[in-house]
Amino acid sequence: MSFSDATTAVSDELAARDDIIVCDGVDKWYGDFQALKGISANIKEQEVVVVLGPSGSGKSTWIRCINRLEQHQSGRIVVDGVELTNDTRNIEKIRSEVGMVFQQFNLFPHLTVRDNITLAPIWVRKKPRAEAVALADQLLERVGIPEQADKFPGQLSGGQQQRVAIARALAMEPRVMLFDEPTSALDPEMIKEVLDVMKTLARSGMTMMVVTHEMGFAREVADRIIFMEEGQIVEVGTPEHFFTDPTEDRTKLFLSQIL
Amino acid sequence: MSEFEHLSGGTAEIIAQADQREAQERASRPDEPSLPPFEWLKVNLFSSVLNTVLTIVFGLLGLYVYRSLLNWAFSYERDWDAVRVNMRALFTFTYPSSQYIRIWVTLAIVLTLAGMSLGMSRMIGQGLSLKRISIWAMSWGGAVVAGILFTQPHAQRTTTGEVMLDDHFQPIRESYGTALADRGWWWLIGLVLLGVGLAIWWSFGDLRRRTTFVGAVPFTLGMLAFLVSTLWWFKWGNYGEQGDIIEPGRTVNDSAKLPWTVLWFVLTGAYLLGSRIATTARSGTVRGLVNFSWLLTPFVTFWVILRDPALDWDHVWSTDIPMALAFIVGGGAVLYLLTKPDLGEIGRVIGVVILGVAALNWVTAFFGWYAMLQKARISFFLLALVALAAHNFAGERKQRIRLVLGWTVLMVIVHYMVTMMNTTSTVDAPDEFVGGFLVTVYIATFTMIFSFPLGILLALGRTSTLPIFRVLSTIYIEVVRGVPLITVLFFFSTFLNIFLPVGMELEKLAAAGLGFSLFSAAYLAENIRGGLQSVRRGQFEASDALGLTTVQRTGFIVLPQALRVSIPVLVGATISTFKETSLLAIIGIVDFLRVANSVIPGQTQFLGVKMEGLLFVCMIYWIGAYSMSKFSQRLEKHLGVGEH
Repeated sequence: MSFSDATTAVSDELAARDDIIVCDGVDKWYGDFQALKGISANIKEQEVVVVLGPSGSGKSTWIRCINRLEQHQSGRIVVDGVELTNDTRNIEKIRSEVGMVFQQFNLFPHLTVRDNITLAPIWVRKKPRAEAVALADQLLERVGIPEQADKFPGQLSGGQQQRVAIARALAMEPRVMLFDEPTSALDPEMIKEVLDVMKTLARSGMTMMVVTHEMGFAREVADRIIFMEEGQIVEVGTPEHFFTDPTEDRTKLFLSQIL
Repeated sequence: MSEFEHLSGGTAEIIAQADQREAQERASRPDEPSLPPFEWLKVNLFSSVLNTVLTIVFGLLGLYVYRSLLNWAFSYERDWDAVRVNMRALFTFTYPSSQYIRIWVTLAIVLTLAGMSLGMSRMIGQGLSLKRISIWAMSWGGAVVAGILFTQPHAQRTTTGEVMLDDHFQPIRESYGTALADRGWWWLIGLVLLGVGLAIWWSFGDLRRRTTFVGAVPFTLGMLAFLVSTLWWFKWGNYGEQGDIIEPGRTVNDSAKLPWTVLWFVLTGAYLLGSRIATTARSGTVRGLVNFSWLLTPFVTFWVILRDPALDWDHVWSTDIPMALAFIVGGGAVLYLLTKPDLGEIGRVIGVVILGVAALNWVTAFFGWYAMLQKARISFFLLALVALAAHNFAGERKQRIRLVLGWTVLMVIVHYMVTMMNTTSTVDAPDEFVGGFLVTVYIATFTMIFSFPLGILLALGRTSTLPIFRVLSTIYIEVVRGVPLITVLFFFSTFLNIFLPVGMELEKLAAAGLGFSLFSAAYLAENIRGGLQSVRRGQFEASDALGLTTVQRTGFIVLPQALRVSIPVLVGATISTFKETSLLAIIGIVDFLRVANSVIPGQTQFLGVKMEGLLFVCMIYWIGAYSMSKFSQRLEKHLGVGEH
């Protein structure tokens, strides 16, 4: 496994699937500081990729570059065949195919749970209201909190809020779901309920890219684990390879600190 | 949640949250009985040596000020007739008394809407506890009794009414005992208040006092009923019209008792109706209707009722209405088309074309190339703005219809206003037909109505990523903020007509209102910008991640949160505007303050009598500002401003 290159780290079965996200030599600078150094990776359809690494390694930056919340300076990012450039039409197209769940939930506090979920389908996808509401109720069932539909985010617990955030992202029927440390802001007893939803989602065949510190989740659900440090991809592998017999020293150091 | 269904989203939400919190607090907090009076005094006023000294010093100072104020107010030199006789002048100046029915009708409309809004909203909270009422009654009663005891005795007067002076030209005063005996009415008021307060205090134990509540609105209505009733049995005296000498035949009671009684019943009736409707299923629609009526009220009351415009009906039927209809139908059709879900680039092209036509209209206006009514120019411009933003609101049929309806309402209001502004009034009055408190209220209302949307647009412009909006907004805000309000008013009242295109002219009051609005908008823009900056970055990121356009993000996510935070400031701006209207005096409009400052002292009967009028004006301003401030506190509390 070469540095910064995760393109060859897939199994044969995975290799047969299409690429949904292609990153090729992506660099990003914040002023003089280089946050991403030549990131290359292919995310396949229905694949669950977990990105691990110490803080400051660029994991969140990379994920946020994919839906243009951050802008990369060089290299290519292609999402579902559409290249991510400054063209707003491309950005809009990509954003409608990519759903994102944030560490801080970022629910809209002045709207009910149901309105939070139906807002984008109605105004971006131009769905009729009745259809959007039905979809919202369906998704709330799927994440396990159908009775909270008329409440406001401030009345929900952290775990419930994050599940609403997941439902809100799913309402746009995206092809890829990005998770930026979804459980880092949660109390321990609520982490499990969110992880359960994510596991179910993974098993239902959604392409997911998850930045997280939850090793148990990574071990159970990931198809591939990408380990990053200081803006570079250090090691890529299946969970078995990664947790039992990592190649790189830096990986071994990280694991010894975490586990 | 069902009982809150009739409320619009934000209020219902916060009430539910507040109720939950209150329920939790009430269940767990142990009972804290209030201190008995002497204990309370000891703890709060005399707890330490420093506190005792401060209490005594400031207590004496307060009593001294109170006494001086009373002595001044009740001195033989005061001529309170100046205020009483000029009541009409102060409030409506030259509005002819034969047309007063229009004012009563206006007040009736406003009070109906106010009553209904009060009745339907749940903003009233728990109300006043008996403890507060009794303390209030005892305080006022005590203040009145203290006043009776402190005020110096009146000067003695001869049989002809002149004041008797001694050798040093000081008035000979009655004896203290006679003075006390003379103040019969005041004793009655003071002792009744004290009695009521004490009666409540002693009949209810501490716990019941604290937990029995009287609704604030019913209580206020009761007090108002008492006030109105005084018109029927207390002789408030005579008054005359501006410039007249006192007419012995015409009393305040005769002319005012019936209208005010009717108005009180209107207010109470509307309140009861509102409360009744609030619990039914139709409350949502009624609420919408009431809010919509509030929006229309200034336009209808000012330009139809109070002004009674002399419309040129031929012109209206032949030109005004057809033009309005053309824009409504034509513009509506264009917008309906532009909100088609999969329209694509054509939508933006059409929007730009309309913008080009609108820009061309304004340019040709200055060169006088072809004549077009200002109304048409304004309508094209508005159509261009809405058309450019229309694709953000595309969707299913119901939504598109709603946008077209909004456009219709906008066109009706704009065309109506411009037509009305150009017609003269039939209400026969010497100069301007409004003056006094009426003009204060109307300028303040119109300023807030127009400066608020403009302020939002400026704030959004200043924080926009597009350089042209940012530069223009910043220039506007910085220029207007650097110039005193008086200068703006001067400019608008005298120079503006020179700069306007041929055929367009604004009368003084409209120009003043425009000047006020533009000035206020700049300050509001900065305050709203503060609110915009308080919206967390995650909200922007979540909206972007979902794919909302900038317009959608601003309208649905950012503005609702930003405005909620800006409420304290916005109400402050309203209060300021309300008081700044006194500057209208400088451009020749006779406003509330000017009547007291210039008109009354100029009357032959009241030459040089200024202070009484000014004190009265101060009182009314204070009542207005305090009510707004109290309302804003209630509003904040129930919108959860400051909590997260």
